[in-house]
Amino acid sequence: MRAAIRPVLRILALWRRRWPMLALGGLIALASAAAGIALMAGAGGRLAGALIGAAGMAGGLRALGGGRVVLRYLERLVSHDAMFRALGDLRVWFFRGLARGTAGGLGFRRAGDVLARLVNDIEALDGLYLRFLIPLATILVLLPALVIVAARQSGLLAAALAALFLLAAIILPWRAARGTLAAGARLSQAMAGLRVAVLDAVSGLREVRAFGAEGRMLTLVQARSSALFAAQHDEARGVARAGAAAMLAGQAAVFAVLLMVALIPAGTVGGTKAGGVAIATLVFLTLAAFEAIAVLPRAGAFAGRIAAAAGRVLDVAEETMATPEPPPPRKPVHGHALRFEAVSFRWRADRPPVFDGLSLELPEGAHAALLGPSGAGKSTLAALALKVARPESGRVLLGDADYASLPAAEIRRRIAWLGQTTHLFDDTIRANLLLARPDADEAALWAALAAARIANIVAALPEGLDTWIGEGGARFSGGQGRRLALARALLSKAPILILDEPCAGLDAATEREFLATLNEAAAGRSVLLITHRLTGVERLDRIWRLAGGKAIAAAG
Amino acid sequence: MSENSPQEAAWLKAESRAARRLVAPLIGLGLVGVALGIGQAAALAALLAHALTGRPAAVALPLAGFALLAVLRAGNAYCGEVAASRAGIAGRRRLRAEVMARLLAAGPALLRHRHSGELATAAIDRIEGLDGFYGRWLPAAGLAVLGPGLVLVVAAGIDLRAALALLLAGLLVPIGMAFAGIGAARAARRQFLAMARLQARFLDRVRGIATIVLYGAAEDEAMRLAAAADDLRRRTLRVLRVAFLSSTTLDLAMVAALVGFALRLWNAPSPLAALFLLLLVPEFFAPLRAFAAAYQDRMQAHASAALLATLPPLPAPSPAATIRHVAASGVSVAFTGVSFTWDPARGPALDDVSFRVSAGESLVLVGPSGAGKSTILEILLGFIRPDQGRVTLNGADIATIVPAALAELTAWIGQKPMIFAGSLAENIRFARPAASDEAVREAARLARVDAFAANLPEGLETRIGEGGFGLSGGEAQRIAIARAYLKNAPLLLLDEPTAHLDPATEAEVIASLRRLALGRTVILASHSAAAREFGGRRVDLRAGRVVALAARGAA
Repeated sequence: MRAAIRPVLRILALWRRRWPMLALGGLIALASAAAGIALMAGAGGRLAGALIGAAGMAGGLRALGGGRVVLRYLERLVSHDAMFRALGDLRVWFFRGLARGTAGGLGFRRAGDVLARLVNDIEALDGLYLRFLIPLATILVLLPALVIVAARQSGLLAAALAALFLLAAIILPWRAARGTLAAGARLSQAMAGLRVAVLDAVSGLREVRAFGAEGRMLTLVQARSSALFAAQHDEARGVARAGAAAMLAGQAAVFAVLLMVALIPAGTVGGTKAGGVAIATLVFLTLAAFEAIAVLPRAGAFAGRIAAAAGRVLDVAEETMATPEPPPPRKPVHGHALRFEAVSFRWRADRPPVFDGLSLELPEGAHAALLGPSGAGKSTLAALALKVARPESGRVLLGDADYASLPAAEIRRRIAWLGQTTHLFDDTIRANLLLARPDADEAALWAALAAARIANIVAALPEGLDTWIGEGGARFSGGQGRRLALARALLSKAPILILDEPCAGLDAATEREFLATLNEAAAGRSVLLITHRLTGVERLDRIWRLAGGKAIAAAG
Repeated sequence: MSENSPQEAAWLKAESRAARRLVAPLIGLGLVGVALGIGQAAALAALLAHALTGRPAAVALPLAGFALLAVLRAGNAYCGEVAASRAGIAGRRRLRAEVMARLLAAGPALLRHRHSGELATAAIDRIEGLDGFYGRWLPAAGLAVLGPGLVLVVAAGIDLRAALALLLAGLLVPIGMAFAGIGAARAARRQFLAMARLQARFLDRVRGIATIVLYGAAEDEAMRLAAAADDLRRRTLRVLRVAFLSSTTLDLAMVAALVGFALRLWNAPSPLAALFLLLLVPEFFAPLRAFAAAYQDRMQAHASAALLATLPPLPAPSPAATIRHVAASGVSVAFTGVSFTWDPARGPALDDVSFRVSAGESLVLVGPSGAGKSTILEILLGFIRPDQGRVTLNGADIATIVPAALAELTAWIGQKPMIFAGSLAENIRFARPAASDEAVREAARLARVDAFAANLPEGLETRIGEGGFGLSGGEAQRIAIARAYLKNAPLLLLDEPTAHLDPATEAEVIASLRRLALGRTVILASHSAAAREFGGRRVDLRAGRVVALAARGAA
């Protein structure tokens, strides 16, 4: 149980900025609950008084009624508004956490799973406030009212009602919560499993059709869907059990009051007519108070889901905070020569080293190429240069500063990168380009497109730069999409360009054209061309060949 | 903008009818609950009257009755909830199977216009959102008339005027809800649209998160996400403001009835009757409250219907006569005057293309990117249909070949192979699930997958993440090649199979593809010089037109 509470407390702490508004929602809920039970009890007392000719609670009923209606409306509106704001904050916080840890890509994680956390799990957290905290707050009004009114009849009755009330408001929810912890975790996982399966099937529609796998994919989705339904049904049963238990507790409370009435000789309640009115008031008050907290045991049955959701949200967003970033450098970095000094690196301790004492230097403004077959570590070198990975030994320097003393953002501001996995966003051409330089003007955009040999194609589009490019650039051919990504890298103002296989997917003529004009397009900037072969048209200052985990100078 | 389109209304009607059998028992249980509540109100009123007036009454009977009814009521409520959950699940299960089948039947052409995240939202969230439609809205709609009706009948038996007052208060509810509901439905639809867009957008950003981070744009994106989330909040609140208004109408009606009864009822036939009538007020309104609470489930259903109505319908099962199975040994392919346009604004992708490939022959499609090479392969894969002209396999029009038969015939290596969640071996086995471990290993060896798998912690059993963790473009492509080996189909369609490979690996893969090509019909789209070494006839394409046909080497 404690393990389930810690993430929930952490989430509450993250909502700090919204605490005042969340508290306001709670306060209105208190006022609304007070008006609600006063109305019920008042109506009962008033009627009883009228029936036996005694003065019941005079007047004020209409005002109470009106107040209750308005307060209830306000309560819902304010509490939901506060909740949505808090959830929005949480989504942004989650995204920032995700961004901190995933410069190297999502790794073993599926996008569908991450999306499930951001959408479903964060949404489930609204129950924490709306279902738990708000009804819990109303206990503060309901319990004292119940005890005070009951104590006028009998101390024993007051004690019995208080015990039943606490049973329904605290103990039953607690028990329901304990019972559903495991089921809640299962529910979250089942949802993520379904999301991954559906996204795989939908994103892979080409493969699915080409391999005739429709039936298999449908079966898989249905199996995942069934697992989700089973978990949901378990949860629904738990909620129904808790609801029935809450109902029984309320009925038992009314029964206790009635039992007291029955045991007293008829017509002599409290010895006075006022006593009769008080009894009627108490019965209606009991009914209303228990109805108001009937939601709590149900909420308890959702606790499992809420705790699991909180855990899953924190998991992704916080796992990457382990390695703290160095503070921004006190003096500006001088120069932007890129230097690797005796760098050794392996991705995981159980895998062979990729680099073993690799050294190379890319002087300011130099154009160089790094050659090597697939798997020689060309992309790993880019990862080290972008501080996505850190060397095991040796060091990487930018100008006169060691990478270890530079925040990653500081480094990435100076390096524009085009990788094999560079993503094209489902947005316009313009928005995709502006990612590299948000303040670029129209002329700069066209210059980058021209350097990447795609300006003609874009100019021929009726919507030009505002053409929507589709998911992963789906509305363009593979080679055209690649050139858009290249244009984005060229647009960046960073003094260093790292181009990892920039010509993959380009036809031979376009490739030569691009390479021939690269020098001009990147004049004054350092360029590191990572490729498996040279065409002969590149003009290069240095060439290295990667072999045996070292860079061997080939020419230059 | 009209409130409901005819398709939506028809869809909802059909769904309601399909779910009738699920919902009827729920309404029955609900009615039993109302009857039990009336009984309890009677017992409670008797005991209270006894306490107030002191008229001798048998106290034991109502007391025992109250307790018994309380237990029955709790049991009934439990059964009702479990049954509602079951009904919701049954409805969603049926619908999800249908939507997935429609998406899978519509195939890859869908991805040209819709983001995969949006399609996944349709199959997951929109259908999850229908839980309340089956489990809550449909039974509540049935009970909203029957439940209060039952209470009214009982009340009328005691005091006609009181019953009339209840009826009037009850009538306030649908009027208020109709008034509030029209605006809410419209706002709800816009809200769901915003939600779907936000999800698709975020999925796209999650997939490209490395690109965002490396361009230092994470903070901008976070701010944009905050703005989108805030926009969604405002839209949702706009829906809720009205939705809450309809439940407020209900609160108002109930309060009016309570206050009215409390102030005026002392001239009822007897104190017992007056108390009973007062206690009936909550019972009268309980089904109406459930109705109002479930109203947003109905709005969700409308929004879902709007989205599901835009999905392509399941193709009608072809009549048996037109189903063509083409002999699996030796496939010849012919294009006759084929044209295809993806987007009219950008001109045709294929313009009057004709060529033939005989069984066992290899054909290389050459041309710059965007010339239409991939479009030709997508037609042969059945992803799209030509706008004009005829494509035949062994003389049979491709339009008459059922997708399953076409898939049997073809093996395909695309430019960006999809790597599914699972291990390397599972990804290769995707091509032929029944394949033996031995066959999978052999395919991995022939496609040179084993060369990089050996460096992974668990070899072929290593699980891979989004886009393939640690897999470069070339490695993902080799998995696609291994799939083609395992599939062993007579027609091989290769779309830049070596685009991301270094020369040494490319030469190896080409050599192994040539072995695979023996005895098969091959169409290879490529602009890499090495791939042209593949041999076979060439078709040169420029801007969707065939500019040259050339025989090169032996086929």
